[in-house]
Amino acid sequence: MSSDLFDVQIKTVGLDLFYGDNHVLKNITFDIGRKKVTAFIGPSGCGKSSYLRCLNRMNDFIPSARITGTIEMEGENILSPDTDVITLRRRVGMVFQKPNPFPMSIYENVAYGPRLNGLKDKSILDETVEKSLRGAALWDEVKDKLLSPGTGLSGGQQQRLCIARAIATQPEVLLMDEPTSALDPMSTARVEELIRELKGDYTVAIVTHNMQQAARVSDYTAFFLLGDLIEYDRTAKIFTSPSDKKTEDYISGRFG
Amino acid sequence: MNRNRSRKIKDLAMTSLFCLAAFMLVAVLAGVAAFLFKEGWQMLSLDFLTEAPSDGMTAGGIMTPLVGTIQLVIVSMAAALPIGIMTGLYFAEYSKDDWLARVLRVSIRCLAGVPSVIYGLFGLSLFVIFLNFGSSLLSAGLTLGCLSLPLIVTVSEQAFLAVPQDYRDASYALGATKCQTILKVVLPSAASTIITGTILSIGRVAGETAPIMFTGAAFFAPEVAKSVFDQVMALPYHIYVLATASTDLEATRPIQYGAILVLIGLVLGTSAIGVVARSRLAARSGRQ
Repeated sequence: MSSDLFDVQIKTVGLDLFYGDNHVLKNITFDIGRKKVTAFIGPSGCGKSSYLRCLNRMNDFIPSARITGTIEMEGENILSPDTDVITLRRRVGMVFQKPNPFPMSIYENVAYGPRLNGLKDKSILDETVEKSLRGAALWDEVKDKLLSPGTGLSGGQQQRLCIARAIATQPEVLLMDEPTSALDPMSTARVEELIRELKGDYTVAIVTHNMQQAARVSDYTAFFLLGDLIEYDRTAKIFTSPSDKKTEDYISGRFG
Repeated sequence: MNRNRSRKIKDLAMTSLFCLAAFMLVAVLAGVAAFLFKEGWQMLSLDFLTEAPSDGMTAGGIMTPLVGTIQLVIVSMAAALPIGIMTGLYFAEYSKDDWLARVLRVSIRCLAGVPSVIYGLFGLSLFVIFLNFGSSLLSAGLTLGCLSLPLIVTVSEQAFLAVPQDYRDASYALGATKCQTILKVVLPSAASTIITGTILSIGRVAGETAPIMFTGAAFFAPEVAKSVFDQVMALPYHIYVLATASTDLEATRPIQYGAILVLIGLVLGTSAIGVVARSRLAARSGRQ
């Protein structure tokens, strides 16, 4: 697939990732489009979550992890040892599989990132919190209880709170690692709706086990299998006429 | 049929035995409490708490030893909490499973098993003599601090380890440094457990006699310590003195039981405050 069809946000070239002797990602090369939703599908252990964790260097916490190749964001190789990981993570937000709000108030959860950036002004903080909660389609449900604990919300609300927390620092990229796998169908629908709204402002990279979800929310889909990027194309193309037999087998449910 | 019945009888016998054992424990506690209350309750009054001992400790109240014990608790916790919590942090967040961490862990476990009188002698040689703090509130408080360190370290480490990794991941993913993550997420999440541990150590510290006998507890002091270099009276040692070295045992006995009641009340009271504080904190953070 030619990448000059869109504005490139993240350019991955020859990426290899090892956990100890385990070759998790094999020579991955592809481009992620700016302000597009890119879905990563594939069976468990195919490397899609590990790829996501390269984008905000969360693999740094795994002592046995070793990475070669480059990932360029705005022309800068984020895998370089010179990259300031703290700044990078403020540019690349992440939403995790299990909703993980801090054991603090709803307000404090959202204000956490901006406060790390040194934002102290109460009125600007208030504004940021409201904007982020609105952005995560949660404001109307929580505006009267901003000071109650974030952990008291329902699972779906907690996940939207985590999304609000992630977008509060105004990242360019939002990583979502199976954000709906712990949610009920109603909450899942709301989060999916939210993802579609978010793509106007953010580049979204979402890992999902749910192929309908990938089909519903994403513009582009990458299919990983055993550490290889098998196929990467427009979502419509992947789900209607995949070029690779393995992709076809996977999306038609023959394995995975 | 017969076997069935004997099984049931055995079952009943065992149940009764265990209940009896548990009941005996409660009975011992109730017995001690009832005895102390009977002997000491008539002493309890505001005057008893606010008057210093007088007439060679055969009259008056327990103000000076009561305040002394509170001062000792404050000094010991001021010294032990920061060191203990930071050590717990080191174990939970920084140390690798290397020889250094293992040596430290074994040392702490050994410290927990050292008899309290040994702490007293250690405090005597280190704080009183070597560091030249003299027999003082400071020496005694620091000695009690050493005594409470193993408990505080262990409780803190467990509290930090119990903080879900999810919180740390979320914090790092938002661009927090390790230090920020620890200060803003890990410590507050662990606070309620650490507070409970602190209360336990306060209870232990308030009740100790041996570590302070040689390091700062006075047989008698006419007034409350005004500086950390003054000697202090302390409730447990005061009780010991009243019970063993009184000039008039008959006259001091009610004071002795009154003092015991106050000491027990103090320890139970701190525990109660700790439990309330803990549940408040837990409710605020949304964790039960």
